[in-house]
Amino acid sequence: MPISAATKAATDAHALHRAPASVSPQEVHKWMQSFNWEFSKNKTKYPTKYHMANDTKEQFKLIAKEYARMESAKDERQFGTLLDGMTRLGAGNRMHPKWGETMKVASNFLEVGEYNAIAASAMLWDSATAAEQKNGYLAQVMDEIRHTNQCAFVNHYYSKHYHDPAGHNDARRTRAIGPLWKGMKRVFADGFISGDAVECSINLQLVGEACFTNPLIVAITEWASANGDEITPTVFLSIETDELRHMANGYQTVVSIANDPAAQKYLNTDLNNAFWTQQKYFTPVLGMLFEYGSKFKVEPWVKTWNRWVYEDWGGIWIGRLGKYGVQSPPSLRDAKQDAYWAHHDLALIAYALWPTGFFRLALPDQEEMQWFEANYPGWYDHYGKIYEEWKALGCEDPKSGFIPFQWLLKNGHEVYVDRVSQVPFCPSLSKSAGSLRIHEYNGRKYSFSDDWGERMWLTEPERYECQSIFEQYDGRELSEIIAEGHGLRSDGKTLIGQPHVRGTDLWTLEDVRRAGVVCSDPLKRH
Amino acid sequence: MSASVEKPHGLTDPERAAKILAAIPDHDLDTQRKMNYFLKPRGKRLSEYEILTVYSQPTPDWIAGGLDWGDWTQKFHGGRPSWGNELTELKSSDWHHHRDPGRRWHGPYVKDKSEDWRYTTRLLESFSADGGIRTLDPTWRDEILDKYYGALLYNEYALFNAHSSVLRDCLSDTIRLTAGFAALDKVDNAQMIQLQRSFIAKLVPGLDDSTHAPKQTWLTDPVYNGARTLVQEAWQGIQDFSEILWAVHNVYDPLFGVFARREFFQRIAPHFGDSLTPFFTAQAQTYFQVTRTAISDLFFESLANDHQFGDFNRTYLRAWTGKWLDGTIAALKDFVGLYAKIPPIAGVTDKEAVTEAVSRVISDWVADYADKIDYKVNQQNLVAAVISGLK
Repeated sequence: MPISAATKAATDAHALHRAPASVSPQEVHKWMQSFNWEFSKNKTKYPTKYHMANDTKEQFKLIAKEYARMESAKDERQFGTLLDGMTRLGAGNRMHPKWGETMKVASNFLEVGEYNAIAASAMLWDSATAAEQKNGYLAQVMDEIRHTNQCAFVNHYYSKHYHDPAGHNDARRTRAIGPLWKGMKRVFADGFISGDAVECSINLQLVGEACFTNPLIVAITEWASANGDEITPTVFLSIETDELRHMANGYQTVVSIANDPAAQKYLNTDLNNAFWTQQKYFTPVLGMLFEYGSKFKVEPWVKTWNRWVYEDWGGIWIGRLGKYGVQSPPSLRDAKQDAYWAHHDLALIAYALWPTGFFRLALPDQEEMQWFEANYPGWYDHYGKIYEEWKALGCEDPKSGFIPFQWLLKNGHEVYVDRVSQVPFCPSLSKSAGSLRIHEYNGRKYSFSDDWGERMWLTEPERYECQSIFEQYDGRELSEIIAEGHGLRSDGKTLIGQPHVRGTDLWTLEDVRRAGVVCSDPLKRH
Repeated sequence: MSASVEKPHGLTDPERAAKILAAIPDHDLDTQRKMNYFLKPRGKRLSEYEILTVYSQPTPDWIAGGLDWGDWTQKFHGGRPSWGNELTELKSSDWHHHRDPGRRWHGPYVKDKSEDWRYTTRLLESFSADGGIRTLDPTWRDEILDKYYGALLYNEYALFNAHSSVLRDCLSDTIRLTAGFAALDKVDNAQMIQLQRSFIAKLVPGLDDSTHAPKQTWLTDPVYNGARTLVQEAWQGIQDFSEILWAVHNVYDPLFGVFARREFFQRIAPHFGDSLTPFFTAQAQTYFQVTRTAISDLFFESLANDHQFGDFNRTYLRAWTGKWLDGTIAALKDFVGLYAKIPPIAGVTDKEAVTEAVSRVISDWVADYADKIDYKVNQQNLVAAVISGLK
């Protein structure tokens, strides 16, 4: 074969330099921006009112194979720890039962968020015009697949090792029965994937990930560890190592639209709506899971919230975006009030409806009640006395025929569902921000609990058509609902949900039937 | 407690550990220790892949197979739902039926690709130390590899992008994972083509690894005219996630992609002293075959053989095949024009040999795809249509 001049150069080069050579990921990535080209149909299938710039860069500069190498190395450490060290230590059943129950909810609900974030990141990948930005969103798509599988692995691991696998083993089927599910879908599912693509990015990356994953994925590991759970930190901290990339994607999304006049017009309103949407659910639910779903407390939720949400996110993170015209959301001040009381309000309703859960809930014991009062002065008089009364009425005892939801109805404490957030609230017992307001539209009544959500609904009611659990269950007896939703253990008669975490005195479907609770839509009484 | 003192942890603080252990019941409260136990496994028992994946999509029961109830809690502006049956023309009695026979969830998938990266790097190091570059024919290297193999990058990149709306819109978790892994493989192929160009440029002083020349080839050279037209349509021309997956993975890539990778670059490269390209094309073909098993399960096992909607779906799949086959054959017809740009190799680039190569690809496609949905095709006519593009 003839040797040309260029080949001779290569031959000469090889004679001088015989060391092995390779190509780094960055040497490939630097050309990625030129992988795109213009053609007439090259428009996103998910329109946005913003214009994303064609030259937006991404920060992580990963190529597919390097991404796989990095994640595989993390997986080896994580799964090695779980399947070897943790298993030999019996760590899967060495956490306090209250916390073991909390993880039925926390891991499964986070899984839903991660799963929907796959679709959300894919929508942004489609919307972005810059090839680097597409690549950044692609890496997030893959991360979200990873996190979905990781969250599932926590429930899978608990199913194998924890003393009460019920709920861990069927969360994907039984989670839809109770009052926490629909609200979770709003923030963690539909809020990420249904709307203007950039609006969804603001929900997912700018608020969900930059703000609430810190308490949800990082702070939770402190609570887990304090309660004997080493499984959750092993997995969740590995998840968190990817989250920085997602926050950077959110940042770059804002950068990509910063010069668009539409950004000046809409961005702060979209951010305010996104913040309120996310906080409306996460503020009460995370506080409830931490403080009521644990025996050993780390710190009052309001302090965690102030540090992560108010100071770090509302101050520092949003402050960094100030040069692009981003302002702290005005709803932050109302959220601050929710951070103090909303989780106590929600915990009361969740306990009142405990049979609909796919987890066991327990009343605060004396030590915990003292902690609540010490950290939330006034807690005992407002909430503690109710829990004591419920206990005295036999709420834990399957023979009592008493389910606290009956007490709420009997005492005129109607439970409504906020139409926009799908979060249940009890106006007559609520200490958090907001109040009951009711609107009629197309012959139906809708309840709301705050100005911000009400405003979203008044602007676009067609986006919030989902029935509440009380509309769905109206007129139906509680045990029927539970049986239909598969809320039973493998013996076919004992409930998965229980009002305590002991190993005895478990409620059966018959016990619930005997209590005779019939659900009704409170809006019918207006 | 001061910040410098370690907070007591549940398992490391003996007093607290004792309280925790005392609170744990002395017996198990349930006997069912298998997550997703209510799911019918595809094999004899539930696989880890099925446990970790199936039903992670929270669809309501009005999308077949969904476990949730009711409506979506937030919709698009105007009221379009998050996910709905209108996102595809195909129907299913259970959208969660599909299984990747490779049982790939994220962990095994990245482990495989991570190994691919390690052996790719080792091969590059060995190739460079070995001086393998010295035998590479310069015309092949600079005219064909740099421009035309380089341009194939854009083909793979477009097919990668065709998956973005699939990953947004598809109706189940197992489909989403299959599509996600197929997408990453496609952008990986594109990146490996550029990596090979950068590698060669490192070894040959004076060579440029800029994407300018291959991009111009892709955008202006008649060899890629048909391919470019088709992948642009697959990328942004259609919305139905099933049609996109069908067009890309069941019509275009098994014909055009396989021909370009396997029958042209992989087969011809060794004749020009190129032992490098076959490594990368073989890797891309490996991804193609792994994806094929998963995509075949989705379309043939799950949709074409759906007990309720199989016939209905086959009608659509046949219609889509006809719609995308014409463009694919046109792309191949343009592509075989590339043979005229290389020195003749007896038994490889003459008309008879090219006809055999095209026939191989088309008959593989008929056996692996067309026959499975009863799509009738005259292979000889297809081969003749492609061969008519020979210069």
